[in-house]
Amino acid sequence: MSSLVGFLSLVFAIGINFYLFLSRYIFKFQKQKFNLFIRFSSLLTLLSFFSLMYAYVVSDFSNYNVFQNSHSNKPLIYKISGTWGNHEGSMLLWLCILSIYSFFFSFTKNIEDNFQKLTLIIQAFLHILFGLFIVFTSNPFLVNSILVNEGLGLNPILQDPGLAVHPPILYAGYVGYSIVFSIAIAGLFQNTDDEWLYVAKKWSLISWTFLTGGIALGSYWAYYELGWGGWWFWDPVENISLMPWIAGLALVHSLMMVRGEQAIKKWIVFLSILCFSLSVFGTFLVRSGILTSVHSFAADASRGIFILLIFFIVTGFGFLVFLLKEPKKSNTLNLLFINKVSALVINNILMIIATLTILLGTIYPIIIEVLYNKRISVGGPYFNSTVIPIMIPGFLLMSIAPILSWQTNKINNSKKYVLAFTILSVLVILQSYFLNFNTWGFVGLLLGFWIILASIIAIFSSYKIKINIKFFKIINPHVAHIGVGIAIIGITCSSVFQNELNFNLNEGDKFNVNGKTVLFEKIETTNEINFQSLRGKFLFDIEKNQSKEIEAGKNYYPVSKMITSEAGILHQWNKDIYFILGDQKNNEWFVKVLINPFVSFIWLGVIIMVYSGLIAVSRR
Amino acid sequence: MNRIFVLTPLIVLLIICIFSLVYLLSGKDPNKPPSALLNKDVPIFESSSLYNANDIIKTKDIKNKKTLINFFASWCSPCKIEHPLFFEIRKKYPELYLLGFNHKDPTSDAKKYLNDDGNPYDFVGVDSDGLIALEFGVFGLPETYLINEDGKIIFKFMGPITMDILKNEIEPLL
Repeated sequence: MSSLVGFLSLVFAIGINFYLFLSRYIFKFQKQKFNLFIRFSSLLTLLSFFSLMYAYVVSDFSNYNVFQNSHSNKPLIYKISGTWGNHEGSMLLWLCILSIYSFFFSFTKNIEDNFQKLTLIIQAFLHILFGLFIVFTSNPFLVNSILVNEGLGLNPILQDPGLAVHPPILYAGYVGYSIVFSIAIAGLFQNTDDEWLYVAKKWSLISWTFLTGGIALGSYWAYYELGWGGWWFWDPVENISLMPWIAGLALVHSLMMVRGEQAIKKWIVFLSILCFSLSVFGTFLVRSGILTSVHSFAADASRGIFILLIFFIVTGFGFLVFLLKEPKKSNTLNLLFINKVSALVINNILMIIATLTILLGTIYPIIIEVLYNKRISVGGPYFNSTVIPIMIPGFLLMSIAPILSWQTNKINNSKKYVLAFTILSVLVILQSYFLNFNTWGFVGLLLGFWIILASIIAIFSSYKIKINIKFFKIINPHVAHIGVGIAIIGITCSSVFQNELNFNLNEGDKFNVNGKTVLFEKIETTNEINFQSLRGKFLFDIEKNQSKEIEAGKNYYPVSKMITSEAGILHQWNKDIYFILGDQKNNEWFVKVLINPFVSFIWLGVIIMVYSGLIAVSRR
Repeated sequence: MNRIFVLTPLIVLLIICIFSLVYLLSGKDPNKPPSALLNKDVPIFESSSLYNANDIIKTKDIKNKKTLINFFASWCSPCKIEHPLFFEIRKKYPELYLLGFNHKDPTSDAKKYLNDDGNPYDFVGVDSDGLIALEFGVFGLPETYLINEDGKIIFKFMGPITMDILKNEIEPLL
């Protein structure tokens, strides 16, 4: 029953959008009526999504999708997250978020009616494309042809609270760029005033903030669930999310800088189209199963071709409009040796090069397989040795960009900065010299600390310190950059100075980690609702009274016959001690201990970035 | 200069789409990676029969005959989908030796499954701990391997085989 409701409301929603799309040419609507229709179709899409969710919650196995991906023994939260833990459901979530964005956009005030209408018509067009994709190739409302009373289970690796919220937030980021895309295209068509730039700014900030949060949640999940000791693996799906993130960063900065320069405006339109294209391309790569990764679901060629077609239509349409309707009149940029505009241009170029480098690495395996019929994989070494060096000058520039002037080459208080930079360099050199020297470590630490220091100097020397909301809004760009600096320190330390220890242990053995004695207490197996757990219990620092308990082990999911590893992590502010329980051989357990310094800084940095994203959204 | 800037994205788009399309249309599928085992000797294995623990099959027992090895389990629903096809193969190619490996399955469940849906295999080997699957490099169930008379793996497929795959890829090799 709920499947029927869901399917019908989905089809009806697509129908309304089709009607609205035609309204541009055939039926003319008043603004009020038009907006009502948009909202109605959004609610229908939402209803469709919740019907599917309901089917999951009540374990309605007459729905084929529920049967394939759920199980009545699952805890409620994973029944709910099961809704988007599979291909069909996640596409419906995609469409649902698109609708939500249209819904809220229809309430935007202070923009010209025709412009708003055109934007929403483009949104309706996107809704139709993805809606038809769902109906014809990925219908989550199919009826199960066999009568069953139990389901086949959700992928156990996805049974994790972090991952339950990761896809919706990430999608909110990806799909948010649809509205930016629609705004930019509508802006090109109407080509009137610059008001649309301010509208676009808000939405691109929202998307970017969601995307940042979504990526961070995903990598936090990978950190404690995959049990590989790292938090970023240059997995194709991670790369796919990083591309619109970097392009989106360029877009946000361009939007903040724009002062009516036509060249930048053109660039903004380009970035807006690019961001959404990359999002759709990412959807294509993941959903077609063309790349293998932890995120792949069952592949289906017809699905792949359909979504490739959508990608081609959307991106082709976007760039074609860009080609034909490009903003014409051009007043020159105020480029100086070093002012705000030139810093922005250089940073944008660097970000685009980084995006293209990632793009190349991601699709290179496809190209090679088509040409030479060989399967290769491009991984960490390529990305680390290309993307990072490209980003470094960008980070360096970023530290001073907010204090540069618009009109001149002059930097206020330049002596202070030179002095601070010199002192900092000496300190970092000394630190590197006395501890363990590593070129990347040195560069990373210097950059991270420099960004933080420069931002703090800028805050103290440029503004009067007050504690009120307005002040925090003013210093927000600096705060965002401090977040980046903190994250860079975390990234550098945790990847360059990671320490790995391996042990073969019996229960009751004591061993030494980082100067502290650890006791391998015992192995425990328990039966949970939907899995069996095997845990090694460790007592960290037993010489002290308050020794800490760490549990590392594995879960075995009988329904899907899968084993997931559960790392045991002892979080300290300056390091994570990361325990992985391996296999048992000759009565000895293999235990790997990783010491990851300053990982918490990465998450702290991200939280600051998300915070300042939110502040920026609230700022007019 | 300006023209180039606005044309480049379209050109890049076209290139990406063409490559992706060729990739998709050529039937390349990450579910079917060029196997490291392809054209290599079949791994050494030893397994007892599902119905009789004393009945053992070893690698050398399948020498000198074409063998189709299929990894399956009662809990694997795609296996259920491809299952009827093995009866067709059975009928069409009586010479072909059908070897099924029952993967990580309680014996009783496996027997019930083959009882309900029929048993197309010449021999059902038990792989309760999944070690044989590990030797074969099985990613997920079902997986099917074709071994020629010299004991070399000449075909591998991940996921349920279909009529198309049977007609276009397996039959030419038989």
